[in-house]
Amino acid sequence: MKHVTTAYQKPIPLKDHDNKPYWDAADKHQLALQKCDDCQSYAQPPGPSCAKCGSQHVSWENFGDDIKATVYSYVVSHRPFLPGFQDELPTIIALAQLDDVPEVKIMGNILHCEEKDVEIGLPIQMTWVDITEDRALPQWIPVTN
Amino acid sequence: MMGNIKDRYAIVGVGESKRSRKSGTTPLHLALDAARAAIEDAGLKATDIDGFMNYNENDSCTSHQLATYLGVRPKYVKDIQGGGASTEMLIADAVSLIESGMLTTVLIYRSMNGSSGTRVGRGYDPDMLQGALSGGSFVIPYGSASPSQWFGMYATRHMHETGITKEHLGHVCLSFYEHAQRNPNAFLHGKPLTMEEYLATPDISSPFNIHDSCLELDEGNAIIVTSEEKAKDCTSRPVYIMGMSARQCHPHTHYWNDIDQVASDYVAQEVYENAGVTPEDIDVASIYDCFSWVVLRQLEAYGFAKRGEVGEFVAQGNLKIGGKLPTNTAGGMLSEGYTHGMNNALEIVRQLRHDYKGTDRQVEDCKIGICTGWAGPDIAGAMILRN
Repeated sequence: MKHVTTAYQKPIPLKDHDNKPYWDAADKHQLALQKCDDCQSYAQPPGPSCAKCGSQHVSWENFGDDIKATVYSYVVSHRPFLPGFQDELPTIIALAQLDDVPEVKIMGNILHCEEKDVEIGLPIQMTWVDITEDRALPQWIPVTN
Repeated sequence: MMGNIKDRYAIVGVGESKRSRKSGTTPLHLALDAARAAIEDAGLKATDIDGFMNYNENDSCTSHQLATYLGVRPKYVKDIQGGGASTEMLIADAVSLIESGMLTTVLIYRSMNGSSGTRVGRGYDPDMLQGALSGGSFVIPYGSASPSQWFGMYATRHMHETGITKEHLGHVCLSFYEHAQRNPNAFLHGKPLTMEEYLATPDISSPFNIHDSCLELDEGNAIIVTSEEKAKDCTSRPVYIMGMSARQCHPHTHYWNDIDQVASDYVAQEVYENAGVTPEDIDVASIYDCFSWVVLRQLEAYGFAKRGEVGEFVAQGNLKIGGKLPTNTAGGMLSEGYTHGMNNALEIVRQLRHDYKGTDRQVEDCKIGICTGWAGPDIAGAMILRN
């Protein structure tokens, strides 16, 4: 059993009817994406049906835990607008474009990265941070070779 | 097809309350002040108005309350949740209701204690935000809860692709601040801005600093719409609606994944078609300016400068009075006031009426103006007006 010493102050992703498979996979340190069985497009964020063609035939595909991406865009945030971020300023918030599915972009923080080092095109990889006993949050770190 | 209403409806009255950081009163009082000013401006009686509409974020009074305390029993009231593209949408709704014969004259208002009361992007319960925003659970856990952070993400990418620089953002701010120095009612009147000061101001959410961000104020604004025939009974100079694109949407209800398109891209074609004009015909503009970059992106969307040349367009001073496209001539939301766009609509009406004739605030001989709304990358509207 994992031990969480200090209470996690930041917002915890809320699971709902449509996004539960994404966050369930995240809790297992994996990425799952919703895909339309008819038009074959991936949806992020996921929804009740395909936002491209309206099809009700959607399913989930597991991409495992080796997720590479590049920074598509980012913001360096110097002010905390939510609880828990006050001690980690500035916060880098980025939109990551997946190498394997470029049409999908996923938001996250870039950890272990200096403000001056973040740029569009920066190679990053997904990591998972255990935030409570049973929840994990997908995040990004720069790819180091 | 909207073309059949061209020039048949007019804005006949505009008015605002005092603007401040702390009104010390309620949004209902501010709405009453704004409404009375607009009614007087139009030369109407309150009882001439049979429809009242407003947009709000659960931070205002109702249209029924406003009408009641003006001494009016209206035929029709409507309160919608909305923001930056709602002025144009409600004007289109008003035109439709007048066209149908249901109403004759409609007053639209926005009134809020945007500084001393509820402030946009702050103080909300994070769990509520995750549910309230489409796809919110993919955004809120990462600390992204402020429009500055959302629009900053768009801006960073767009600037990377088009060569727009921080200094170009600064030219937008400086142009509007300069206009505010000519407007005694602008909140930042008496507070000019230099490029040196702008560039030395630290960012809140990159690429935006405080000057790139709109004001937050306590303020009420009102606008009166009626038919061309009824406008003849008013004492004001009517400003005619040539064309509108009341509301257009981004292809996705959430815009976290596609940050390249904005709804304004879809508005431009329709608004110009309905009005029967092109960007070259526009003499004066009110461009939604919740953030400086939003203006640059809209200049591209509405065809005032080509993609990649927008930065140079503003650096040449074209947004200033005397430039090619005098924009937000009262100071805009960056430096005049902030009611989610309605103050910019009031200003374009005053410009087209030549209210400032003989002063350095008047865009000389302006005949046609555009007013754009932006509720975010997801929803936008616009209208083209003439005198």
